[in-house]
Amino acid sequence: MSVQTSSPGPITATGTQPRNHDGQVIAITVFSTIKLPGRLFLPVLFQVTRRVPKLTATLRELSFIHFARWCVIGKLPYNGPPQKKGRFRYPHMYFESNFNGGWEEYIDAFSHILTSGMTAFWGTSYGFPKPLPTAPFKRYIQDNETEADHYYCAYPDATSTMIQRALELDEKLAALRRDAKRMQPDAFAAAYRAFLTDAQNAL
Amino acid sequence: MAASVRMDLGDIQGDILRAYGNDYDCTTYAFMKIECPPEQARAWFTGVVDHVTTAAPWPPGEKPLTTLNVSVTARGLRALGVSEEVVGSFSREFRDGMSSRSALLGDVGPSDPKSWEPGLGSGDAHILLTINAQRTSDHERALGKMKAAMDAAGGLRIVYQADTELLPGSREHFGYADGFAQPAIEGTSDDKARGGGVPLKDGEWRALAPGEFILGYPDEDTRVDPKKRLPNAPAAPLGRSGTYMVWRKLYQDVALWRRVMRDAAKLYEGGDEHTLSAKVVGRWTNGAPLVKYPDKAPASFDPQTPGGNDFRYDKDKDGMRCPLGAHIRRSNPRDALGFEGHLSFRHRMIRRGMPYGKVLPEGVTADDGEDRGLVFVSFQASISRQFEGVQVQWLNAGNIFGLGHDKDFLLGDPHGTGKMTIPGKPPFFLSPQEVFVRTRGGEYLFVPGMTALAALADGTAG
Amino acid sequence: MRRTRSSTVASPNVSGQAYAFMAMTPVRPGEEKPLADYLRGLRDRGPSPLAKLPRTHIGRFVIVPDFHHDPTWKQRREEHLDLNYLIFTSNFDGDLDSYLDELCERLAPEAKEIWGRCVGCPESAKGAALKRYLEHNQIKTGMFFAAYGQATVGAVKSSLRQRDKLIEFAIRAQAMEPDALQKAFLSEFDAVR
Repeated sequence: MSVQTSSPGPITATGTQPRNHDGQVIAITVFSTIKLPGRLFLPVLFQVTRRVPKLTATLRELSFIHFARWCVIGKLPYNGPPQKKGRFRYPHMYFESNFNGGWEEYIDAFSHILTSGMTAFWGTSYGFPKPLPTAPFKRYIQDNETEADHYYCAYPDATSTMIQRALELDEKLAALRRDAKRMQPDAFAAAYRAFLTDAQNAL
Repeated sequence: MAASVRMDLGDIQGDILRAYGNDYDCTTYAFMKIECPPEQARAWFTGVVDHVTTAAPWPPGEKPLTTLNVSVTARGLRALGVSEEVVGSFSREFRDGMSSRSALLGDVGPSDPKSWEPGLGSGDAHILLTINAQRTSDHERALGKMKAAMDAAGGLRIVYQADTELLPGSREHFGYADGFAQPAIEGTSDDKARGGGVPLKDGEWRALAPGEFILGYPDEDTRVDPKKRLPNAPAAPLGRSGTYMVWRKLYQDVALWRRVMRDAAKLYEGGDEHTLSAKVVGRWTNGAPLVKYPDKAPASFDPQTPGGNDFRYDKDKDGMRCPLGAHIRRSNPRDALGFEGHLSFRHRMIRRGMPYGKVLPEGVTADDGEDRGLVFVSFQASISRQFEGVQVQWLNAGNIFGLGHDKDFLLGDPHGTGKMTIPGKPPFFLSPQEVFVRTRGGEYLFVPGMTALAALADGTAG
Repeated sequence: MRRTRSSTVASPNVSGQAYAFMAMTPVRPGEEKPLADYLRGLRDRGPSPLAKLPRTHIGRFVIVPDFHHDPTWKQRREEHLDLNYLIFTSNFDGDLDSYLDELCERLAPEAKEIWGRCVGCPESAKGAALKRYLEHNQIKTGMFFAAYGQATVGAVKSSLRQRDKLIEFAIRAQAMEPDALQKAFLSEFDAVR
């Protein structure tokens, strides 16, 4: 009997088109146009956020995301005509996320829980309506979002939380495997129970 | 904002904000199909609207013997002559209907709409009349009147009827006290905020904004809006004082439930099937929550008494008292998801379930072939955010609780596999997951306010 | 070339051992719809071509027709994209150089249908020429967040499989006495991974 990831996972990727999710994972792709102060502020923000893990602690704790990225684009590489050469008048921010759950739940969580983080990252974008209330914020994201034409995940039925716990489980199980052979049955049974007790939130 | 919200109770239909279940023992749900032109249907509808019960308080001692409430499906709106443009102002999921959302809702396998009872999910259900009565005799008289009015009008047909009756002790068929944990709403049930509202960081609670349940009022999003915008709602006058309604007939396989719990308990704590069942539900049969009473049920417990529903999960993060996957913890996680309730406060709904069918006598573990279960009713401002959010992300998936793909053991959709972890030292695993509950039919409906009902009856709803 | 090939830990493209690659290439006028049809049809024709790159955790192709603009914004001038742009992003294991080598070799048939429709893509759309084209069009990451950037695709998949196996075992083992439990555990988990 196969209970978990090898059987298809539940339907959770709501609020998006089929081509914009793969199993449990939803893509979000958003461009926004940056005001002048953002041109200077965002690179600093990125630097600081990368260096101070505390700033992404809540994001990690929410555990919705597999990977996310932000890029500020001032100019596109030139490939010859008919492409136009030159810088953009305004820099543009590219944001992508790969997350679990429903689209609406995801945006709600970010508006309500990462309110100041949202403002830090998008506050210098034109038209950004503040994260709260969520209705205009959702409209803003929808207006600026482009759904993927093709989307792929190597483990579509796994969620980010499940993966992180499975990786922790690996280490715990490795210890039991190492010692299992040398133990008497009763001692092993006790060690196995202790392992299950310790690892139950990963199962 | 807070207690300053005044609800226009005379414009809101009864039974949404206050449960009639406490006052009335019998409820009939009659789904009608309109088979006549809109003008003829509206003539009949006008007569119905005159008898609709509102949420206005009854003067002392004047509780009506019966009550009547009306709701409509998207097809019902069209059959009453409402324009496509106005129908288009209703939410997508309402217009599509419940049966079109079956994959999402987990209505698959034996719960697939293809095998639903005739009249439900087929597009035939246009209008739902809900009749509550104190006594069977009143009930029959009200039903008789309703049928006579229909026959007189012509062109109307009852396509499905469900008769429900409270079970002794307000239990549902698996034997658990049910229906008392309701959201606390500002201006209506502020006194129920502890345990019913939003759990705050300091240990306090606050009631939910009324717009989560009644359209035309600020909701949890707009309550903080300096511009005082109101939540999305259907075009006026339909969008004010109304709400969306989810109606589901859920068959409960009581004999199977008892057998599975009995057999699984052989490996659990020396065969204690009552504790094991309570772990699945999150409450003892008398309604006492496991998180407060982890070892055994208190001899007497009345969930209706003040404080009966006042509890949190903050001292039970690992689920040793109440499992992380227990039914009540999944369907209303309170503070269990952390972040000051911010992951859960927009997914609350008012539930008005009523059991149907005869009780399977205690101790019987063989199926007697009787149809029994629950008519599940919920009211919410957004079916997709509230009802479907709970169904999809909380009951049919476990990720948000850190439970992988585990589904709610009691209700989760049937896949033939699955498990539930009962946390412990060591944990206990319930597996495989059986199908205890099957969807026999359902509809997404809209409950118009009184002004809106009048406009529908007049043909002036647009 | 605008950048050095080898990525260091300090690179904003990297988190743990995971790399965030992005290329944004102009779509040749007239090819927008055929490209969209091709990409949207990939799923109907079998597994994703990105599955041929086993170091890929998650990847996407997005055709962006234009920047969104709203007249109510206090933006002095509207700004529009000159052409439709194809965005390809990948979150993968290890260094970019060898990843692009793999991509340009294994995805050659698809690359012709994809980047072959973009301005400036070399005719062959494979090998070193395609690699240079993708490198030329790389967009540098400002910030990259990876929830489990230390784990490779292989590690993720094997730990998920092991979790499955352990759940199945834990259910089965509930009724076992110590002796049988140890034997069953060893036969299930003592084999080489």
